[in-house]
Amino acid sequence: MNERGPRICVLKTDGINCDEEKMHAFALAGGRPSLVHVNELRSGDIRLQNFHILDIPGGFSYGDDIRSGKILALELTTFLADQINDFVEQRKGLVLGVCNGFQVLVRTGLLPFGTLDQMHATLADNDSGHFECRWVNLKVNDKSRCVFAGELHEVVTFQVAHGEGKFFAPGETMERLENQGLVVFRYVDVLGEPTQAYPLNPNGSLNAIAGICDPTGRILGLMPHPERFIRRTQYPNWRRMEDIEPHGLPLFKSIVRYAAQM
Amino acid sequence: MALQEIRVGSIGRDVKGRGVFSEAQRTIGIPALQDVKTARVYRLEGITEEEAQRLARALFVEPIDQTVAVNKPLVIDTQKVVEVAYKPGVMNPESASILKAARDLGIGLVAADSSTEYAFYGSVSAAEVDQIVQRLLMNKTVEHVVVKPPRTLLITGEAGLVATVPIREAIDQQLLELSKDKLFLNLEEMQVIQRYFNKLGRNPTDCELEIIAARWSEHCGHKTFKAKVVVDGMEKLPLFTRITETARQYFGDLVISAFEDNSGVMRFYDGQAICGKVETHNSPSAIEPYGGAMTGSGGVFRDILGTGQGAKVVISTDVFCFAPLALDPATLPEGCLHPDYLQRRVVAGVRDYGNRMGIPTNNGSVHYHPDFRAKPSVIVGAYGILPEKSAQKGQPRVGDFVVVIGGKTGRDGIHGATFSSGEMTERTAHVNASAVQIGNAIEEKRMADAIIEARDCGYIRAITDCGAAGFSSAIGEMGENVGVTVDISRASLKYPGLSPWEIWLSESQERMVVAVDPNNKTDFLAICRKYNVEATVLGCFDGSHRLQVMFGEHVIADLDYDFLKHGLPQRTMKARWEKPVAAPETPEFRNEWIGWIDALKKVLAHGNVCSKESIVRQYDHGVQGTNALSPFGGIYHDGPNDAVVITPILGKPYGLIVSHGLNPVLNRKDPYWGSVWAVAEAMANYVAVGGNPDEACLINNYIFPVPDEMYMGALDESVDAVVDCMHALERPVISGKDSLSSTYRGNGQVIQIPPVLCISVFGRIPDVEKTVTSDFKKPGSTLLLVGHLDPSMGGSVYEDIFGPVRNVHGEVNNKVPRVHLGVLPDVLRVVHHAIQTGKVLSCHDVSEGGVLSAVCEMSFGGDIGAIVTLPRYVVDPDVFLFNETAGCFVIEVENEAVADDLFSELPYPYIVLGKTTREKELRLTSNDAGPLTVSIDELKQAWKSPLQKVFQ
Repeated sequence: MNERGPRICVLKTDGINCDEEKMHAFALAGGRPSLVHVNELRSGDIRLQNFHILDIPGGFSYGDDIRSGKILALELTTFLADQINDFVEQRKGLVLGVCNGFQVLVRTGLLPFGTLDQMHATLADNDSGHFECRWVNLKVNDKSRCVFAGELHEVVTFQVAHGEGKFFAPGETMERLENQGLVVFRYVDVLGEPTQAYPLNPNGSLNAIAGICDPTGRILGLMPHPERFIRRTQYPNWRRMEDIEPHGLPLFKSIVRYAAQM
Repeated sequence: MALQEIRVGSIGRDVKGRGVFSEAQRTIGIPALQDVKTARVYRLEGITEEEAQRLARALFVEPIDQTVAVNKPLVIDTQKVVEVAYKPGVMNPESASILKAARDLGIGLVAADSSTEYAFYGSVSAAEVDQIVQRLLMNKTVEHVVVKPPRTLLITGEAGLVATVPIREAIDQQLLELSKDKLFLNLEEMQVIQRYFNKLGRNPTDCELEIIAARWSEHCGHKTFKAKVVVDGMEKLPLFTRITETARQYFGDLVISAFEDNSGVMRFYDGQAICGKVETHNSPSAIEPYGGAMTGSGGVFRDILGTGQGAKVVISTDVFCFAPLALDPATLPEGCLHPDYLQRRVVAGVRDYGNRMGIPTNNGSVHYHPDFRAKPSVIVGAYGILPEKSAQKGQPRVGDFVVVIGGKTGRDGIHGATFSSGEMTERTAHVNASAVQIGNAIEEKRMADAIIEARDCGYIRAITDCGAAGFSSAIGEMGENVGVTVDISRASLKYPGLSPWEIWLSESQERMVVAVDPNNKTDFLAICRKYNVEATVLGCFDGSHRLQVMFGEHVIADLDYDFLKHGLPQRTMKARWEKPVAAPETPEFRNEWIGWIDALKKVLAHGNVCSKESIVRQYDHGVQGTNALSPFGGIYHDGPNDAVVITPILGKPYGLIVSHGLNPVLNRKDPYWGSVWAVAEAMANYVAVGGNPDEACLINNYIFPVPDEMYMGALDESVDAVVDCMHALERPVISGKDSLSSTYRGNGQVIQIPPVLCISVFGRIPDVEKTVTSDFKKPGSTLLLVGHLDPSMGGSVYEDIFGPVRNVHGEVNNKVPRVHLGVLPDVLRVVHHAIQTGKVLSCHDVSEGGVLSAVCEMSFGGDIGAIVTLPRYVVDPDVFLFNETAGCFVIEVENEAVADDLFSELPYPYIVLGKTTREKELRLTSNDAGPLTVSIDELKQAWKSPLQKVFQ
């Protein structure tokens, strides 16, 4: 861990379960991650303003009861709205949400338009009707506003592991997303073209969307797990390839570097 | 105040509804059914309609894709609406989340519940709707159709107090009456109890009898495994003694703790240790597969959590045995669920518990045999990591507090006697006294998080989980060296009305007991609070050497440990294994050369061979970021691997490898050689990926029918096989479990479920880079068969499909393959060393489906073909190609020179099987006949489609 690296608040609560690998990824990328329980933010023992990056890991926060990420989203908008607004708007903090974290960000309204407490899109049940864990190919939109996706390869392979990952929004919202360059990742086929075909697009997301950012480009959410590919041996077929660079690591490095420059 | 009802449905596509629709069409076939839609129903108690409206908007409905109705129907375009809810008293895990969210919004709910409403469209009859609901949508054990909405969600009741049971004067007949269906003890054991209380000069309380019965039960006391065994008049050592005394010879300095803690522990690297535990959960899974599989997983995870001062769970495994999915429902014994339903619900239970806990489920298997129709075998395993300094079983000291953490206590899992049932209220009588629970993974996850933090702070002196017999076994066993006094009126209850003995014996899930030094109590409780984990101090370890249970000021039980620990008389079990009389001979079978493509397709599509990917994809096998060798790999990520390798310490190359082996068919035919096969299969799986056979430990699980003389004989043979394998391999068993109740009796029918010995292997390697997968890596490589093949076909998949095999001389070949224990250890070592050189390109062990199936699976992963040439000496091609001798490997190397280099030291020469080819086809050649060719994609389709259909 870099003693000068930017500080990352890795959020924890009941049912969050991808926190340790997230901590590891940020540390490997030169950041200083701390595991912070939402109760510690609510009590004021720890304050968001002491961090550069807020990370919401994957898992099943509060069992994903009612809807995935719903209850944690409600907790954030009810008790931590001031801290989050201050963090995002005044301090220009960075926010990353993966899988359940993405679901939480969408349900708080932070994604796609940065409107806390007002939802514009949703992540619904996979079209397949069940949880699915598999490796998918994603194309990174090089014209997106995301300020830290630029260092990724053009096409990356990440693992998805979710049951509620179908990105859905009304037509006009979809148009705004596309026009404003808020789509960051799309599920693609072997030719690198966005696809609706199962299982390449594992959940039936509209416009093959796997990840989006907000208009500032500083809030990013995605369903696939970049933290599960930060060492080459995590990829099932590393034995078939010469010296592959782990596809997820550049994302963490880029976030950490961006935060360090702020 | 009336209950508020909120209904939420989908706008547009209703994925759950579509799922029900296609499942109904697949399994029942109802042409008149046009569509199914679903809605969630939330019932809220203690709030006004305005508050309900507010909650609906803020919490329950998202207008983007959902629609809502408060206190009115949501579905108005069909009359065929059925609501399925949990029965009262079955805890719905969602309730707690609803209460929390409402509290966060400043709305104080008294109680909440949720359920599902199904709306059926088309001209379906009421009977058809009922059929769908009963077969697919509910389980009568825990759920019911809501005909009339409840008026309250609260369960009330008055607790009964302690009762005494007059056994001092009882005659033998009365003692047996008392035991029957309640205590499950035999007359000798009942008499021992009677004498004990006569000596004390008083009668026992209901609770005391329950404590003794639980402690002395087969489940906790393992009376059969500790019994004297008399085989054909010859006395032999108890089974348990044979296993443990042999194992001890091979602990070396690798084993840290065996047979004493909740799991077996061995050394890892950098001051860390790894531990493993495997459990069965058959009975609950047979009745309520979803809840049963969940609580099975939850229980075995708690065994890991409760090892040493607490271990982190890093792998979950599951092995299932079902009847074939195409089983004719008419052949199903009364009260048994169809295997298709069982399998889907068991998979869902394992999925929902493991995924939510964030534990990768990445090793397992599924086996099918018609005799599992009466009861499935569900075997769940878990592996963990913990610091070596926290790896010894903890011992409470005098003065330490007894702290119970996690879930609340309810009337869950209490079977048998209800001495105080007369005192139960009318309402409590409605609560199913022995309900199978629906596990609450999130409760266990936050408890796990708290335990690891508390362990690292040094606040845990000892810890164990509440499994069978609940507090009675957890607190009872933890206190046995010092004595303990607890007041169970302090325990946090799910609902009022529990009698003291019910609280003490309750098997409510997600609870653990911790011994905490008084100086650490405040800090320990603070950690629990941080993680939203309820923690209650029940009493303390007091140096009395007695087990004293209070309920307020009432004494519920007061027993001395000496009697509990040493009072149980040893049983003597007679054993006599006789080879089952062979079934009438089916017509002889000899496959013609030309028929083999068809035979191969049938073998690949057999349940015991076909791809299980559709199941594995539903498990999160990548969470924790530790996988270094996944369940599936290869070009399209669909080539199956033999074991899993993880790096439990992120950033370090150290590998933990887990594998297993079992074969219920072989065990029934020949318990000794079937059991040897299981050990060889488990070790071969382990070595095939790169595991070091000299740094592995074994776990043995026996799931056998009730041990009459015959099955006691089978058990005796099976244990002897395990002992012989330990000697041959010089590896120890360090954990295990027996479950001797696989017998079904009903309606005059007795079905003995096939005896299962499941062997699990786990161990360490210093560097995961030196591991290998099963997918072919490139065309033009040389394929080898390594190991000693016994030309016996008894119990093979091939035999199951085509009947007994006859050789060229007309002799029946139906013996179980015998693994050569003299050769196996060296084969394993040589293969391991070959993999270490990095020159083994791919490796797969031979198991169900035989040599040719192994080659096919390697082709599927590599997406290339192979030429297989029958060795010249082979006169019975099927005996070679479909042979299932465990401990053999198909190995891909660059060329024959490399093969010579790597395998010259084998105790038994390898065979060159053929080559990999660029053409995506399998080509079989022999001296006698022309080549046969079939496309890999065609074979893959046959292999993949059986389970794809079920889980699409």
